[in-house]
Amino acid sequence: MSVTDIGADKRIFLRKASGLIRTAGLGDTFIYNLGVVSIGLGVGSMLYYGPAFYPQGNLIWGCVIAGIAMAMISFGFITWTITLPRSGGIYVFGSRILPPALAFTMSLVEITAWLFYCAIAAYWMVILALAPMFAALNLLTGNETFLTISKTMLEPWATFLIGAAILLVSQVVLSYGMRFYLTLNKWVFILAMASTVFLIVVLAMSTREQFVTNLNELIGPSLGVPDAYNSIIASGKEKGWGEAGTDLWQTILMSNWPFLPLIGAAFSIAIGGEIKSVGKSQTVGMLGAVLVATVAWIITVWLAYKVFGFEFLGTAVFNVLTANGGLTTPTDPSVALLTGILTKSPLITVLTSLGLALWMWMLIPAMHTFGVRAVVAWAFDRVAPAPLATISEKYHTPIVAITATTVVNLIFMALFVFTPWFSKIVILIEAAVLAWSVVLGAGMFFPYLRPQLYEKSPIAGKTVFGLPIMTVGCFLGFIAAQFYFWTLFFDPNAAGHDPTQVMIVAGVFVLGLAFYYVMKMIRRSQGIDVTLAFKEIPIE
Amino acid sequence: MFWRKKGKDANGEVKMFFASDLHGSNVCFKKFVNSAKFYSADVLVLGGDLTGKAVIPIAEQAAGTFLAFQHGEQVKISGKDELDEFVKRQGNIGFYPAVMPESEYQRLKADPEEQAALFKRLVLERVREWAEFAAGKLKGTEIPLVALPGNDDFEEIDEILTQAAHFDFHEMQVCEFKGGYQMLYCGGSTPTPWDTEREYTEEQYVKRFAELLPQVGNMSRCIFNVHVPPFGTALDACPKLDKNLQVVYEMGLPAQVHAGCQTLIDIIKEHQPLLGLHGHIHEGRAKINIGKTICINPGSVYPEGILQGALITLRDGQVTQANLMQG
Repeated sequence: MSVTDIGADKRIFLRKASGLIRTAGLGDTFIYNLGVVSIGLGVGSMLYYGPAFYPQGNLIWGCVIAGIAMAMISFGFITWTITLPRSGGIYVFGSRILPPALAFTMSLVEITAWLFYCAIAAYWMVILALAPMFAALNLLTGNETFLTISKTMLEPWATFLIGAAILLVSQVVLSYGMRFYLTLNKWVFILAMASTVFLIVVLAMSTREQFVTNLNELIGPSLGVPDAYNSIIASGKEKGWGEAGTDLWQTILMSNWPFLPLIGAAFSIAIGGEIKSVGKSQTVGMLGAVLVATVAWIITVWLAYKVFGFEFLGTAVFNVLTANGGLTTPTDPSVALLTGILTKSPLITVLTSLGLALWMWMLIPAMHTFGVRAVVAWAFDRVAPAPLATISEKYHTPIVAITATTVVNLIFMALFVFTPWFSKIVILIEAAVLAWSVVLGAGMFFPYLRPQLYEKSPIAGKTVFGLPIMTVGCFLGFIAAQFYFWTLFFDPNAAGHDPTQVMIVAGVFVLGLAFYYVMKMIRRSQGIDVTLAFKEIPIE
Repeated sequence: MFWRKKGKDANGEVKMFFASDLHGSNVCFKKFVNSAKFYSADVLVLGGDLTGKAVIPIAEQAAGTFLAFQHGEQVKISGKDELDEFVKRQGNIGFYPAVMPESEYQRLKADPEEQAALFKRLVLERVREWAEFAAGKLKGTEIPLVALPGNDDFEEIDEILTQAAHFDFHEMQVCEFKGGYQMLYCGGSTPTPWDTEREYTEEQYVKRFAELLPQVGNMSRCIFNVHVPPFGTALDACPKLDKNLQVVYEMGLPAQVHAGCQTLIDIIKEHQPLLGLHGHIHEGRAKINIGKTICINPGSVYPEGILQGALITLRDGQVTQANLMQG
């Protein structure tokens, strides 16, 4: 059977009949994904951690590597979501091919990681955007109140309370419904995107000399050195920051930082059931988000290196993160603080800082939504307590699931602030990438193991080198996901694999399996067979 | 999906499987009938809108090949195997394939009345096929298949299904139901942008319910099988459409409206039946409580060949289980 698109002659007779209207178009899908990627969070985290941890790494090539890998993963998920265009993400995909316990476990592992990401974003909003903004305002205005605010925000209880308040705002937004959330999201997206463009313009119009002069003027007196810029670099090198250079392995490890936010580019698999023209919308929505974010990062990184200098970025953060007593800025040298110093403008400082905060905010309700949808799906399938699927009569939203996931977010927030486990728990993201690779790996075999389902897919007839396109797409996605699982595994700065961390990863998988089997037993005692939730009713 | 293994019937338990809005999908209807055995259901309940929305002409060309339309593209079909496969696939997603010469296609294309006649003939043929399939599968069981018409269903299907073995088809009636319950049947919907087959204004719904409610013996044991969902709930939220049937956007987002029945929600609030079974709004998949009444819309994604439904267990006048499922 051959296919041609002749457009005009649509050989179909329609009658007047009501039906399902899918509401999200190509533009919505693209914005949703780009919002979850959070360009600002990527800029903030990769400029903060990249030069500090990987002196021989090339961040621009790191962005390229991460972008290619995420495009491969997106390709795999595009074939999945075209074949099963339903909301629910990997839980929907896994439940159609994996054993029920494994499908549920993959979903639980993934959702745990995304809820963890919500707490990370709230935490970073405080320490990478808001606190540096007040510190910069202190430097620029000399008003000590700003410094007091900044230092207070970095106190554990204050950080927790502000972060918790941000997470509770997400709870309120989602409780009012998707329409309210999406309306808010579009405005936040416009403002955040404008702030990124503004940051790029500011960096493009500035010079290294300008930054050095301003830094020396503003920071020098408090550090007691006339040339604060070069003193910080010298101090960092003396304390152990490696010499700059080029090393492929460090570049690969460095690419973890752009890869982590790029994960958001595939999040529209969570709303697959609400997207019209699913093939075109998902393809452009996912790959477009990868491309735009990667290009924006490459431009911003290049400009930031030009203005701030790679060695300065690396040593200033290195001295903070290793707490080695070396010279650095008064508070965390985030891009928000450095832009404030560069421009010496309180207004620009506030605008760039709030822009960064808005990008981080976009991640929170998006990840939160992902978790809520999965929890509701589990409750529908009776592998989680039924009240989790309860819909609010007033707001028509799953208020119990939203609240339950907010509680998990708050627990993660408390763990970051009050315990030294942050660097241990970050391994959860590695576990989520592993879960993705399992579902993508299973997708390679879907056309062969579930031919009745696959034959209904619009891509069923498409082949590459004689193989079903889904097999090829999921193979590429599997390879890329595995690549980043191991890259994260061998990177102690981004994730790692010390014994505690390995136990955490194993523990989450065991927790998922245990949860499934306990629920299965409970339901069996109630006369309910939950395995039927994962089976297709026979046709003949 | 949720399957009670023991204790059925012996203690007055009734397990029903409810689905709606199959819209001509062969695969979904077959799954629906087979769900009786799969879920050990005692009763199958179909909530209306059995009939589909599109005829796919498959036009034979001079070279012995066929031209048709699928997924927004024109497709060329060669050989009997490809043709049979294409016909089967169209039926499974709810379309009505019609093989014809190219000249016939061109003639029909220019004649809306002839198109409508072809449409109705194919729809009624499929309804008959479904009735035969159900009769074959449920023969020898005591599992009834109860159904009512939706707003998209032609009047002509009533006679076919009323006479069909194993179909227990009703409209505007209150009938005895297994386990000592009653079921109130009220099909159609409030007016839609498509001006479909069976639409009623709110005033007409007031009259319809005024006719039905006196027939209910005990409201606490009555199941409302009403195609349209209650207004202003999670069961009836859908995108707003303009007069050209395009989604209306406000501030760049699809505007949402409620498309249910105000009269129905008023009656449910006042009379508090045991259970409400609804369909019509495919996006409105949810289970909610209106006071003590549990109301369910299983939603529909029939073009994907996935059957959405609800498995409901009644015992001693109570809804002991009500689970949304997909199979």
